[in-house]
Amino acid sequence: MRATSVLRDALGIALCLSALSCGGGGGNYSPPAPPTPTGNNVVNVIVDEGPLPTTNPSANTLYTSVTVCVPGSAANCQTIDHIQVDTGSYGLRILAPVLNTTLNLPLQLASNGNTLVQCTQFVDGYSWGPVVLADIKVGGETAASVPIQAIGDSRFTTVPADCSSVGPAEDTVAAFGANGILGIGPFELDCPLCETQVVAGTYYSCTATACAGTTVAAGSQVPNPVTRFAKDNNGTIIQLPSVGNAGAATVSGTLTFGIDTQSNNASGTESVFTVNNVAELTIVFNGTNWTQSFIDSGSNGIYFTDASIALCTTMGLTTFYCPASNLTLPVTIQGQNGVMTNNMIFVVGNALTMLNNPAAANYAAFPLLAGSNPNAQSFDFGLAFFYSRRVATAIEGNMTTVGTGPYVAF
Amino acid sequence: MPTYQSDRLKAGALCSVMLIAALSPAVALATLGEPEASVQNDVARLQGSIKTTTPRENFRVHELQMPSGTLLREFVSLDGNVFAVAWNGPFMPNLRQTFGRYFDSFVAGARLNHSDHKHLQILQPDLVVQTRGHMRAFYGRAYLPLALPSGFNLGELQ
Repeated sequence: MRATSVLRDALGIALCLSALSCGGGGGNYSPPAPPTPTGNNVVNVIVDEGPLPTTNPSANTLYTSVTVCVPGSAANCQTIDHIQVDTGSYGLRILAPVLNTTLNLPLQLASNGNTLVQCTQFVDGYSWGPVVLADIKVGGETAASVPIQAIGDSRFTTVPADCSSVGPAEDTVAAFGANGILGIGPFELDCPLCETQVVAGTYYSCTATACAGTTVAAGSQVPNPVTRFAKDNNGTIIQLPSVGNAGAATVSGTLTFGIDTQSNNASGTESVFTVNNVAELTIVFNGTNWTQSFIDSGSNGIYFTDASIALCTTMGLTTFYCPASNLTLPVTIQGQNGVMTNNMIFVVGNALTMLNNPAAANYAAFPLLAGSNPNAQSFDFGLAFFYSRRVATAIEGNMTTVGTGPYVAF
Repeated sequence: MPTYQSDRLKAGALCSVMLIAALSPAVALATLGEPEASVQNDVARLQGSIKTTTPRENFRVHELQMPSGTLLREFVSLDGNVFAVAWNGPFMPNLRQTFGRYFDSFVAGARLNHSDHKHLQILQPDLVVQTRGHMRAFYGRAYLPLALPSGFNLGELQ
């Protein structure tokens, strides 16, 4: 994402501190790699520098390709690459500027007949754009006439104040860090409360010139598209290979749809960690139970609090950790069901060293990238957690052979 | 359900907690960096209600509940100025209203500093914003480093 660009811009004016730890050696946590799944419910995923590698190189961002079609049309379709795979949100959102003008996806109407336009809230800003309908094809899976969001659509440029009060706009590929986002977390809807209540800064019914907050029936909201697949719709499995401590230019893996629905997505022997109604579980670190923790393919680092680890001092990096040498630290993940990991460790590297490695200028995967997490009862495991793992995410209310969603399993 | 348990537990243990009716004339919610008493209309603008006011040794905390379920806490120094805010809940609070004259600085800082969609820290001499979370569960705090009460523990800001 742009952060990396910012990080690297900062590094351009920084002294080379190559005397600090140079990664490599020790600390890998690599269980035996399971076989790479294949089948019509599998799509390739990749970690690379993203859609704008020159101007906005991404760090630890997982992408896939998604095909969207005008509902019912087999020909009027477009395949879009560099859609971020995010287990920490719900819904397919595509930056409108990357959509072909000839695609012309139909607008979803609000209950009053005006256009339904969404304000999607992220921590770092908002994404504004209409809800449109598309047939979605990912790998061999298909979902018919699903509401998705077209972010930054030039037909709807008047942003309500309640929406823009979230922060900066993220309505371009550069600002968003991807051509779109595939929100496949463990729930179905992005705004259950919106079914019965007008919530400021969420859904609006808009004319060409004015918008008003509106309630939205579940069927018109932008849903986790997996829940709309005809089959393999109870969850997902992300499988990525191990990555050396120094990082990698690209990492290729798979996103498999369904859990225990086909021979290639059986649950096996992994442990199930249930999450609460906001997708949180407990992570025990340094003797503290961080009860608002989460595991999220859409976070680019490992974010936690440890005042004993040195923060980087380089401008643009000061919220990331820069220990003098790699730190191997114990951690325990505990589901809401009480299931706990055994003897788990993670490694924190020096963010400046890994991002400033001259031999790795095009690296995009950084398994040791970690940052501070103040104001948090939380330990947030981002994409680095997924390297060398097979992580299943079961959607609320769905049963598998090993449990009922919402849960994560690995 | 996300909670603000540590704040409330500490409050319960250390201080008396007064329940104040919504829109009580004795209590006004305020905007970062502005006098407590000047912004009574915050409550109306945010369509919220004041849940509690918690007096502490050298500051007090007003907690506002939004219709969305999000809780916003405003930290007021004894001289009556808002020096910090914190929030948690299923949706982001209205930061333009909450940050007031610091909102534009926040937006500019956010454009430069975001690392992913789930974490954001802005560390400026006059403004610190630290937020994290995801759909259904947002958490954040902001404070004015130059306006903190003497001896204020940032750990209180939750």
